[in-house]
Amino acid sequence: MTNFLKISLLVLSIAFLKPNQANAQAAKYKCMIQMTNYMGEGAYIVISLIDAKGQYEKTLYVLGSDKKWYNSLKEWHKFNAKKPSNISAITGASLTGGDRGISIIDIEKSKINSGYKLRFESAVEDQKYNVKDLEIPLTTEALSAKTDGTGYIRYVRFSPN
Amino acid sequence: MTNHFWRYSHLALAVSSFLFLLLASITGAILSAEPVLDRIKPYAAKNIDALNLAQAIPVLRQNYPGITKISVESNQFVLIEGTDKAGDAIKAYVEPTSGRIIGKPTKKNEFFQWVTSLHRSLFLHEIGRIFIGLTAFLLMLIAISGITLTIKRQRGIRRFLAKIPNDGSAQYYHTIVGRLSLVFILLIAVSGTYLSLNTLRIIKPVKTNVNVDFDKIKSGPQKNIKDFEVFKNISLSEVQTIEFPFSEDVEDYYTLTLKDREVAVNQVTGVVIAESKYPFSVLVSNLSMTIHTGRGSALWAVILGIASLSILFFIYSGFVITLKRISSRTKNKYKKEESTYILLVGSENGTTNRYASAVLKLLIKQGKKAYITSMNDYAVYPRAEHFLIFTSTYGIGEPPANANKFLSLVDEIQQINPIRYSVLGFGSKSYPDFCKFAFDVHNNLSAKSWATPLIDVHTVDDRSPADLTLWQESWSQQSGISFEDFAGTSKEKPKRLRTFSVESNTNFGDTFLIELQGRGKLKAKSGDLLAIYPANDHRERLYSIGVLNRKIQLSVKLHENGLGSGFLHSLNAADELKARVVKNNHFHFPVKASSVIMISNGTGIAPFLGMIDENNEKISCHLYCGFKNTQAFEPFKAFLNNKLAETKLAKLNVAYSREGDKQYVSDLVNIDSDLIAKKLIESSVIMICGSLSMQKDILQVLERICQEHTNHPLSFYQSRNQILTDCY
Repeated sequence: MTNFLKISLLVLSIAFLKPNQANAQAAKYKCMIQMTNYMGEGAYIVISLIDAKGQYEKTLYVLGSDKKWYNSLKEWHKFNAKKPSNISAITGASLTGGDRGISIIDIEKSKINSGYKLRFESAVEDQKYNVKDLEIPLTTEALSAKTDGTGYIRYVRFSPN
Repeated sequence: MTNHFWRYSHLALAVSSFLFLLLASITGAILSAEPVLDRIKPYAAKNIDALNLAQAIPVLRQNYPGITKISVESNQFVLIEGTDKAGDAIKAYVEPTSGRIIGKPTKKNEFFQWVTSLHRSLFLHEIGRIFIGLTAFLLMLIAISGITLTIKRQRGIRRFLAKIPNDGSAQYYHTIVGRLSLVFILLIAVSGTYLSLNTLRIIKPVKTNVNVDFDKIKSGPQKNIKDFEVFKNISLSEVQTIEFPFSEDVEDYYTLTLKDREVAVNQVTGVVIAESKYPFSVLVSNLSMTIHTGRGSALWAVILGIASLSILFFIYSGFVITLKRISSRTKNKYKKEESTYILLVGSENGTTNRYASAVLKLLIKQGKKAYITSMNDYAVYPRAEHFLIFTSTYGIGEPPANANKFLSLVDEIQQINPIRYSVLGFGSKSYPDFCKFAFDVHNNLSAKSWATPLIDVHTVDDRSPADLTLWQESWSQQSGISFEDFAGTSKEKPKRLRTFSVESNTNFGDTFLIELQGRGKLKAKSGDLLAIYPANDHRERLYSIGVLNRKIQLSVKLHENGLGSGFLHSLNAADELKARVVKNNHFHFPVKASSVIMISNGTGIAPFLGMIDENNEKISCHLYCGFKNTQAFEPFKAFLNNKLAETKLAKLNVAYSREGDKQYVSDLVNIDSDLIAKKLIESSVIMICGSLSMQKDILQVLERICQEHTNHPLSFYQSRNQILTDCY
């Protein structure tokens, strides 16, 4: 019975959430990450929304599903520990050298062209950690260009979905 | 290279790595279940071999306009990634002909991930990877040394899978399991080592991505995907992944990852715009991965799992073998300079050693000064009177590792005192060269002036208690050492004595023939021994039995003060005595032989009389017998002439040592060298019975005949049971 209640609540909340999100004017973007040909295990990458002060505001996507390795993404891990959010819906597989990965990320339209940034943070087991493998200003211009990474990421591209 | 080297490398490598090996093989066995479980997931698409990309891609694109990637897993699961019509992310297994979703990929099993991590790096990151890499490398060396040892043991690579006699020991199973799984273990080890070198970045297989020249990309003529030539030529099963163009821009292209190369395809024209073949190191790396993980083949994964489990078995059985070997090493109580009994041991494993140690204990318990050592440590023993040599044979009649220098040492080092020696060979008749080395040792020693055999050479077939007892009794009788509290063999049943009655007892000078009739059924065969206890104590005397008309006949020479002969001589017809028959299987008449040559001196003729009498098949028998004079031959003359007439005996040669030409029986054999050589080559059997000094002469003559007329040494025939001896 309780299960039934929980499920119905969930269904209800989803039903209400959807229009809410739409009200918040979220836009879906396809984000493509092309990796360099580095050697080693799969890279864990997290895409975060950074506010004008340079603080983490929201986790947009996590590439890498084993929570055991999240602490290797040191800075983000601190933020995520302080303000844990449900990231299971925005988690994909880690990427290895030479891979291309495409993730769908939600970006609130109000955040675009308002001083926010997108940060790509990367770490590989037993190898270097890059707090800013790549950071781009969240502008319409940047979202239509190709941006090169500095660590394991060769470049990142976006396209509206 | 020597066996020693391989054996010790094998052991040292195993000992130094067994903890890591234990861990790696347990986790490896667990991980082998993963590809099997993957295989049985119900996501398999049908006939993807028959489907080419020009057929599959349009269907999938139509159903999923936002598709970004197709992966083909384990050659049968088609996984798509991208967005669905509503723009939501999708990742699902599909049927490529219809686009129907079969299932969603589940998260990688956390347990398997945990075990994988343990297997790869012991949770110790870089350090752990180094350890595991080293373990894989050591495992490779262990497998190589193991294969070499097996080949040596099996005497040649072509006999690698030949039958191994089952003696139920840990060693037997170690070898049996070994040759079945060593090849697979070697593959695991080599691929594991290579993968470790990769992850430790010592070998860097660098994948070069396709290098597209964007200046040359053309935007026309436009073609439909289903007309792309390159897509028509590649079936879905050849593909690992297909990455779709990120946008409709002509500079975005399809990237096909195949097994050996990457291909970039223009999304508008369908023309191949770049191609990059994988370098060799990448192909090896992929192959290693496939071999090591069993991904994509459930059958191979099962084989890998079994091979991993077999490593566990090797660790266990290897330790059992080693512990046995160590525990059979004995510490000496007396120094070699003060010992009268010298026990020389040649052994590849613990059995022979354990028996020798038990004999050592027995001697020391009885207050004798005895010393045990390896045959290779042979030296001068200033107080020695007795040599007891216990040896196995290795490979093709070769000496065991710790006895390979013995024969040359014996040639070099003379003993000061006269030595009485006894050789006991351990082996198995399932091998063709049964106890060959023991015979070599016996023959070699008998040619030395300072050495005299105390008893004949004895052999033990598969640790047979009867064979061991026979040696004990023979040696005990000559040395006066009682084996009553002997721990070397399992407790025997109390000896059951039977009552025999004397039928007749006839004197011929200093020899006499005594006929005995047992009560009930006679279980003796000619060549067996009769054990009598003249003084009703532990002292036992053995006599060769000839069975004539279902009666036991002994021919005995009367010795002055002889305990046994005196007792037998005193018996009269109808007297009774207690005795028992000792089976002497190695000296029975060879009913399957093409012909038989019998050589005896004095009363040693006794078993032959019975054998000739029983020779109903009329196998060609030549008898060479030696006597002091015509009078000594008298008791047998009429009987043998009779058998010649019946053709149960083909030829009779008699030598008299004190009359006429004064010949010894060895002289007669020498004269017939050509005949003897021919008979040996024809697989005839030579049987020798009589005194040990006669045997010594005969063996020397035979050795010469073998060297000059056949291509083998005498011991070759001895180990093939073509030379049977029963001397005293």
